[in-house]
Amino acid sequence: MSSHRLFGIFGEDVPSSEQEGLFIRKLRQCCVAFDFMDPVADLKGKEIKRATLNELVDYITAGRGVLTEPVYPEIIRMISANLFRTLPPSDFDPEEDDPTLEASWPHLQLVYEFFLRFLESSDFQTTIGKKVIDQKFVLQLLDLFDSEDPRERHFLKTVLHRIYGKFPGLRAFIRKQINNIFLRFVYETEHFNGVAELLEILASIISGFSLPLKSEHKQFLLKVLLPLHKVKCLSLYHAQLTYCVLQFLEKDATLTETVVKGLLKFWPKTCSQKEVMFLREIGELLDVIEPSQFAKIQEPLFKQISRCVSSPHFQVACCALYLWSNEYIMSLTEENSHVIMPIMFPALYRISRGHWNQTIVALVYNVLETFMEMNGKLFDELTAKAERQNV
Amino acid sequence: MAASDSSSDDSLYPIAVLIDELKNEDVQLRLNSIKKLSTIALALGVDRTRSELIPFLTETIYDEDEVLLALAEQLGNFTPLVGGPDHVHCLLPPLESLATVEETVVRDKAVDSLRAISGQHSPSDLEEHFVPLVQRLASGDWFTSRTSACGLFSVCYQRVSPAVKADLRNHFRNLCQDDTPMVRRAAASKLGEFAKVVEVEYLKSDLIPMFVNLAQDEQDSVRLLAVEACVSIATLLQQDDVEQLVMPTLRQCSGDTSWRVRYMVADKFTELQKAVGPEITKSDLVPAFQSLLKDTEAEVRAAAAHKVRDFCQNLDSYQQETIIMTQILPFVKELVADPNQHVKSALASVIMGLSPILGKHNTIEHLLPLFLSQLKDECPEVRLNIISNLDCVNEVIGIQQLSQSLLPAIVELAEDSKWRVRLAIIEYMPLLAGQLGVEFFDEKLNLLCMTWLVDHVYAIREAATLNLKKLVEKFGPDWAQNTVIPKVLAMSRDQNYLHRMTCLFCINVLAEACGSEITAKLMLPTVLTMAGDNVANVRFNVAKTLQKIGPVLEPNCIQTQVKPVLDKLNVDSDVDVKYFASEAIAGIAG
Repeated sequence: MSSHRLFGIFGEDVPSSEQEGLFIRKLRQCCVAFDFMDPVADLKGKEIKRATLNELVDYITAGRGVLTEPVYPEIIRMISANLFRTLPPSDFDPEEDDPTLEASWPHLQLVYEFFLRFLESSDFQTTIGKKVIDQKFVLQLLDLFDSEDPRERHFLKTVLHRIYGKFPGLRAFIRKQINNIFLRFVYETEHFNGVAELLEILASIISGFSLPLKSEHKQFLLKVLLPLHKVKCLSLYHAQLTYCVLQFLEKDATLTETVVKGLLKFWPKTCSQKEVMFLREIGELLDVIEPSQFAKIQEPLFKQISRCVSSPHFQVACCALYLWSNEYIMSLTEENSHVIMPIMFPALYRISRGHWNQTIVALVYNVLETFMEMNGKLFDELTAKAERQNV
Repeated sequence: MAASDSSSDDSLYPIAVLIDELKNEDVQLRLNSIKKLSTIALALGVDRTRSELIPFLTETIYDEDEVLLALAEQLGNFTPLVGGPDHVHCLLPPLESLATVEETVVRDKAVDSLRAISGQHSPSDLEEHFVPLVQRLASGDWFTSRTSACGLFSVCYQRVSPAVKADLRNHFRNLCQDDTPMVRRAAASKLGEFAKVVEVEYLKSDLIPMFVNLAQDEQDSVRLLAVEACVSIATLLQQDDVEQLVMPTLRQCSGDTSWRVRYMVADKFTELQKAVGPEITKSDLVPAFQSLLKDTEAEVRAAAAHKVRDFCQNLDSYQQETIIMTQILPFVKELVADPNQHVKSALASVIMGLSPILGKHNTIEHLLPLFLSQLKDECPEVRLNIISNLDCVNEVIGIQQLSQSLLPAIVELAEDSKWRVRLAIIEYMPLLAGQLGVEFFDEKLNLLCMTWLVDHVYAIREAATLNLKKLVEKFGPDWAQNTVIPKVLAMSRDQNYLHRMTCLFCINVLAEACGSEITAKLMLPTVLTMAGDNVANVRFNVAKTLQKIGPVLEPNCIQTQVKPVLDKLNVDSDVDVKYFASEAIAGIAG
């Protein structure tokens, strides 16, 4: 049951003319912070604030005409007072540890809810909003993406997405700041908890790019998205990263060569887990590649794939060999067999003669069989050559 | 080298070889050829290195970061190969492009090399070649070149003309105000070293405003780097200027909303103290220190706690004791009961150092209760830190006051369930033994040391063995003969073969400390008896022990007693025993 009136502190009715003043007073009340590290401190005060925040969420959701101009700065003030804080020190390893959740979540969650309803309200006016939601505000919001608490990051993601949508004037700034966050992450700290969430937002931003792509966006792909593949904790955001990359290629297929060259440049040398991720990304990329683009990158790419197939790590070899379970990749291979087979053959031949893992041997035999069917003449030539070199 | 006009094939040969090698698929081979670049340069001679090799490297190297890194390093040492300081500037083009590379280690190395060769440029070469490079980098499109530029200002500033200096200062200011936080961070981290080479008037007029701005940056990662710069800048100024130009900013930083900035202030506190001088320390730094010791964030409190001793020691001797007693100690007392163990541990590692400063009376009345309280702390690290610093207290009041509480604390640590804690206390044992004296030791600690020898964990047994050696070195062979050796030898009859082996390991280390007579008379017979042990591991360790203690024994003893036993072990049924026996025989003979 949502209410569109605010009630006084004793639950009394307050006339419409005074609702705005009451709204502001309650917002200011909610600027007071409570210590949640001490679970028994000030329980009454915490409860009052929680109830008030709830009341405000309802008020803003169902109320009409409640978003008058004077309340905008008060709302932002309340949100800033609650959300903007320097995140505490943490030796959180996202790949190993469980996150430490926000102690003040009972209040924080309501503040985020309130914020979202505010932005999504049909009464929300961008012209007034942009006076208080400025660059400084957005910057502080972006810093919070480093929060360990996934619930907070989830809210932030939605909030930022709304802001991006509603304030065209802030878009370039937001993109630039996200760049700075990523660049610092890649080149300085290798630590940031919100990479996945930011990439999710970026994916929808990218899908909205108009053609032809601006050079700013192409530079973002080359200088920010591709280097993100370098970082050790790639597994935390690889899915979102791959999606962004593929979105780019959907917009402009001529970027394929750049992307593949970039991936080859950053190809993992010692981390097999990452290699598997890279191979999967290559698989998804090849699944939608245009044949003309394929021809451009096939040589360097399959040289790398040949190395992967020869990897002593069976998962890497397996993942590489599975590329040929994709029909489209198979057909591309067939069309370009004169280039690809000589590159792949030596490794496949060697493995077929003995590998510690039987599954790999079996997969290799399958691939060799398909090669034979594709281009028997070349296959025989390559076999003869390999045998000569072996003797 | 004769630079005659040889046939074109010969003269192109080294470059052609290099080009070929650099096209090789294997990155390792490419890396190797870059590492041999100096050889190629030598073969070419300085003229052709300048005219062909360097341009080639500038234009055609697009490679893996590993290779580029090696190249950046090589070029830093290339000055003689291009003909000395007169020609050093021709190394700038390849290094300039390396300084713009994305990968951090490559551009850092390029900057290092540029810094190294800057000193070899004449002032006119600096103005003609080096400074334009810096200007280009500082105006680069992508943040990487601007970041690299920051590291090049201090090395060329001093030897150029005033007009160029003004230009350099301008560029640096722009970098401090750069759009990109990465660049501002780089500028902030280089501000201190730049301040050291700039003239004092410009330090005040140009650099201080940059410093103030960076210390108020919207990003805390930039602000905290300004704190580092603060130390350098304060050191360069007179007291009045420090008070006027630096202190307002420093006060701001120690109360910054971000704990990271406050942490940096705490971390640099002793350097700040030295930089601002005794007067400002009293008026400003003492209150700042108090608030850091009470900070809401444990990391900040811990960083401040680490500095307690040094800060107090470096206070001006006039009023030093009063200040510590009235303004620092009350806060230190609170930290002893801090909820966070890292804070307590940090404090414990330095608090004893206050004792020599405050003297006997104050130590007994005010510090002793704190030491005793920390000796009983639930966190083992806190207790260990107290115990490891007893020597300062010993000098002032003597250990006896503490020893009553000390012993239970030591025993508890010695029996802690975590082996690393047990290990740490063993390592302090020789020190403690020396301070407490042989009687106290024999009475209370001897048993402990023997118990460690039969601990479950090998690392403990090993440390305990070493401990014994140090004790013998401290207390002498007579003491060893009476107290230690009988107990060690008793282990040779233990049912557990690991303990029998430990006995041999002890003998290994005790032999040298005890000398030939004791070894031969008391320890050797036991060793020889163990040659008949039914566990092979024990037997082969007998062989090893005999080899180890051989040098301590008389030749006659070796011939008549040791050799026969080794010969017997040499035909043992176990292959390892035979191996070590033969090794021992050879070792003793040689």
